[in-house]
Amino acid sequence: MFCSKEEAVAMETELLRDYGFGRQQLTEMLGHACATAITQVFPLASLEKRQPTVLVACGPDQNGCVGLACARHLRVFEYIPTVFIPKRSSDALHQDLRLQCERMDLPFLSYLPTEVQLINEAYNLVVDAVLGPETELASVGEPFTGVLQTLRGLKAPIASLDIPSGWDADESSSDGISPALLVSLMTPKRCALSFSGAHFLAGRFLPFDLQRKYELNLPKFSGTDAVVQL
Amino acid sequence: MLGVRALFGIGLLVTSRGGSVLTHTGACARIASNIYSKDLTHRQACTMADTIKYLGQEEAQHIDEELFDEYSFSVDQLMELAGLSCATAVSKGYPLQSLLKSPPRVLVICGPGNNGGDGLVCARHLKLFGYEPSVLYPKRPSKQLFQNLTTQCEKMDISFLTEMPEVQHKPQRFFFHLLGWDVENGCPDGIQPDMLISLTAPKKAANHFKGRYHFLGGRFVPPALEQKYQLNLPQYPGTDCVHQLN
Repeated sequence: MFCSKEEAVAMETELLRDYGFGRQQLTEMLGHACATAITQVFPLASLEKRQPTVLVACGPDQNGCVGLACARHLRVFEYIPTVFIPKRSSDALHQDLRLQCERMDLPFLSYLPTEVQLINEAYNLVVDAVLGPETELASVGEPFTGVLQTLRGLKAPIASLDIPSGWDADESSSDGISPALLVSLMTPKRCALSFSGAHFLAGRFLPFDLQRKYELNLPKFSGTDAVVQL
Repeated sequence: MLGVRALFGIGLLVTSRGGSVLTHTGACARIASNIYSKDLTHRQACTMADTIKYLGQEEAQHIDEELFDEYSFSVDQLMELAGLSCATAVSKGYPLQSLLKSPPRVLVICGPGNNGGDGLVCARHLKLFGYEPSVLYPKRPSKQLFQNLTTQCEKMDISFLTEMPEVQHKPQRFFFHLLGWDVENGCPDGIQPDMLISLTAPKKAANHFKGRYHFLGGRFVPPALEQKYQLNLPQYPGTDCVHQLN
């Protein structure tokens, strides 16, 4: 079930090229599913602060796109998400998703405070959609290194989308971000083998023959659920 | 046999008015200063005192336009959420365990417009939920969106029929949403469905609906849009993408 970076990329390419899916569709479904997983692990009633605030940090690539869709669905689910985009994206889909969040009146942070106390006090939860498995870790510089450093110092729980930002998709990590919740997208990556928090799978759209081709052996989703706990 | 004229659907797209952009600079401790509490109390008050609004054709079209023009949603996105709602409603009204026939076959009849596109998305999700949908799609538009949706279904091994099957005995559960009805006045001698899934908000024609299940779907309406048109949408349960209205 745990796949490598190459396999994940190959699968996504096939979905778009051969199965007729569009990036917007897949991103929407994944964002919706991630928001659902978050409500299961951090239900509204369980949040300690007076307001159900959530900070959603979105990088410039596909991982960030899923984060933006997730933020919007969290708003629909009556959380109060604030979005932080460390670096403007040149990706048209990212820009559209960002605009949708703005039009839904989601607040945006213009910078991430380095004083982690401020973040801990303001937000019940931080959604980490900064870097995904496609990121070349060697090329990661500012502002992301600063953002990751801040996330590492947080007491507020973190929910990471696909892989914890800064982790290598194929390796286990000992000094990276330690999220309370990991939502793997489509299929878990190898690095998730060493993950010890709550682990959910999102992406209930994988055609059955694609699952068979990559020997995914995914668990069964129940009823009409968009996510399954691993 | 159902005539082709019965297969056109109304535009389901709902537009929304753009809200103002809120950008917070500075420390995040100032965030969340009751920006949304007004929305939440408004919704609670609505469910107590007001009933859900039934839209006329013009209003429905305006809402559609706003969703695309001002809220920057794309057809792909909203259609995916709408189709998912439809499949979810079907599984609530006709749970797999309750269907007598095995495999649990469903026929999805898709017209040439966006309603048909919703149907294609719905069929795909039904397959993922464990049903065995077949699609009748007699008139296919050339737009890439619909071709992609068709490919997605075909690749999920959903069969496309070339003609309406003969119905020999008690049929599988059929359901249509507002096929062939006038958006506002309904159609007394038209199809009488058992289930209606109103997308975004119900249309006036739904006042004539006499079936067992009326669901609301399309859980993507921005709060500002809802307020502008006074839709008085009920609270969806939890993270469900449908809400049963009757």
